[in-house]
Amino acid sequence: MSMDRGRHEAYEELISASLHGDLSDQERHSLDAHLDGCERCRETLAVFSDQRRIVAGLRHLAPPRDLEARVRTGVQVTSAAQPWWRRPPAVFAGIGGGLAVVAGALLALAILNGPTEDSPLGQPTMTPAATAPAPSATVPAPTLAPIGTPAASPAPTASLAPAPTATPVERSPEPDAYLAVTGPLDNQLLTVQPGPTGEGVTEADAPSGPPIAAEISPDGQWVAYLSEKGLSGFNEVRALRVAETPEATDGTEPVRSHVAVGETLILGEGVAGSPFVEHLFWSPDSRYLAFTLIDIEGGGTDVWIFQPADGSVSQLTDVGNAYAGSWAVGGAGSSLLWVSTAGETPQSHLLMFHDDAGEIRPGDPADSPFASASNVFQPLLSPNGTLVIYWTGRMDRSGDEWVFTEGGAPWLAMNVNDGGAGYEFESSREVFTDVTVGQSAFTSAAISWGLDSDAFAVWDAEWTGIPQAPSGEYPDPRRVYLGRATDARHVTRTHALDAGDVPTDATVVDVKVAGTGRHLAITVRYPVPGDLSTPEADLLLVTRNTGTVADEVSVLSLAGPGWYGPALYARDPPSD
Amino acid sequence: MVLPGGASWSAAVTRPVADLRDDAFARLFDEFSAPIYNYVLRMVADADRAADITQDTFIKAYRKLDTVTDAAATRSWLYRIATNTAIDDMRRRRMTTTMPDDAPAFANRADPRPGPEAEVLSRTLDERVQRALMTLRPNHRQCLLLSDLEDMSAHQIGEVMELSYAAVRTLLCRARGEMRRALAAEGFAR
Repeated sequence: MSMDRGRHEAYEELISASLHGDLSDQERHSLDAHLDGCERCRETLAVFSDQRRIVAGLRHLAPPRDLEARVRTGVQVTSAAQPWWRRPPAVFAGIGGGLAVVAGALLALAILNGPTEDSPLGQPTMTPAATAPAPSATVPAPTLAPIGTPAASPAPTASLAPAPTATPVERSPEPDAYLAVTGPLDNQLLTVQPGPTGEGVTEADAPSGPPIAAEISPDGQWVAYLSEKGLSGFNEVRALRVAETPEATDGTEPVRSHVAVGETLILGEGVAGSPFVEHLFWSPDSRYLAFTLIDIEGGGTDVWIFQPADGSVSQLTDVGNAYAGSWAVGGAGSSLLWVSTAGETPQSHLLMFHDDAGEIRPGDPADSPFASASNVFQPLLSPNGTLVIYWTGRMDRSGDEWVFTEGGAPWLAMNVNDGGAGYEFESSREVFTDVTVGQSAFTSAAISWGLDSDAFAVWDAEWTGIPQAPSGEYPDPRRVYLGRATDARHVTRTHALDAGDVPTDATVVDVKVAGTGRHLAITVRYPVPGDLSTPEADLLLVTRNTGTVADEVSVLSLAGPGWYGPALYARDPPSD
Repeated sequence: MVLPGGASWSAAVTRPVADLRDDAFARLFDEFSAPIYNYVLRMVADADRAADITQDTFIKAYRKLDTVTDAAATRSWLYRIATNTAIDDMRRRRMTTTMPDDAPAFANRADPRPGPEAEVLSRTLDERVQRALMTLRPNHRQCLLLSDLEDMSAHQIGEVMELSYAAVRTLLCRARGEMRRALAAEGFAR
């Protein structure tokens, strides 16, 4: 009897080892042969298998939020004896290699096992609202309730259905066009260089300073850009017509304009400001361009509208604290624009534009909005309209404009039609998931969606809180962060592009994310000696790699120095 | 895309590698803080203690970063620190509660009174499995968790626990036998 028990025990060890494939061929054959004739060991195999499944299925819990801060504090204390920056480089390279190996192994596991309950609960996905962390009490999740009954409510559009996963689209990593300013300072030419089609459109009357932001209209007829106005500290908004009216498609009438191709319209000027001001928003149907100007006479910030059809520019708001946000897809014959008002509790209002409406007159966006959201500032919708990045926190005046002074942070949410006339931002989650937003947090940052509606870039992030990394500056205003909506971490410090992507003496001016989701066209500005030197910028094409694989960086090579950028990626026309 | 005017993309930016190095510890924390916390939590069944042990683990890892020579063994190295830190913690607690060294294994049974862990491990199934785990000897519990929760091979477990391959297989088999009885006591029938 005891001999029999001993024999079973020997096989139990083989059974245990077999659960993760730790058997030699000989052991495997021996075990298989034994199992064929031993019911007791077959039972043991079943029990051990169940047991492994039960233990593997234990819930994963998120570590406490302050764990990183505690480690950081501990590291800072210990680092006094041996500073971080004096450690031998080879060690770090080794660690990095190990991480790459481990990360690869973990990724392989994740792919093999698929999405299971093993996913850490601390990393909620976008879809289940119940598991997504609710914003803190001071940052309530916004709910957009319709105010009033619009004259012609837009029908809920299919494109607004929540679909936070990226749509696989074959796109070129390279921009469709870019701006170039070349020539001597007193005779500069601005050219919009299209991609494969060859000749660019040149503006003889170049702006008196370099372009720092630019957007092409969805129909490809116009390039709107924001340029510095010499050394005045003012910016200018311009629109350059770059293409003829396209053919009508699907019964959609294209926007026709009397402005000739190659002609430039000056849309307005204002004081240079934060990234919140340096946005240009084309409506999906290319009928409108919305932008923000800071009044050069101290009147604060207001929103303006350019209509290519008649070349008109109209002031939309006259409240002194208004900022343009994204356009939402409206119903037939109308467009919807988010306009935010800064303040202790920022507000956002969804305004409706009827195509057949009369002249735009300035007013208060809170007077008759289609919908409103409290504690929401400058909603930036993804190109397909399913996701939104917006800001929350307390804002105060800073000079001529407004910035966040308390608890400021960007949040990512699903933009969901609530089935009625309103929209809701659901499953809100902080964009920077590894920072602790306290009283001191973000002042502002520049954010740009990729055309895949999944990837997005954050740069120029002004952080006033305590540094959030064991070493170095984080969030770092000089770094570019590439996050993804479908990555539950969104943005962490490891999402920063490699520091070497941007030359050390250059500053990031503009970032565009290609439809591939992993290529970025970055305009970087170089310091130039003296006020009379022509400004210089390079256009970099960065291929983002992860782990210890360095990003790949190419620079647009052209004859002679000049200002190259921003890049332009054409959006898909709106679909019904 | 062929750009007009003789333009082309070329690799012309020199990239320093120093900044890549600087991210190494941050990446280590980012990758492993949650798994290590969960592993330790299942070892000690106390959320506060698990956080403390995880914190100590990473601080120790930072101090010993330059002792890692085999990049492929980084994960095992980190789990070894966590395991040893957890064992030290359990020993300290056993000493402060004047528990004899030869106390039976079930002396480590989780405190049945409601505590912080009761909130964290609130689901019934989780509680029962955790109670079963806590009846195991610490080395059995480690071995089982590394195998089934962390999906490590016998070789990797050997690296963490500093045991031979053969010793790990024997230990793991005993742990499974012990866990079989513990789960049965918790009503897991088979």
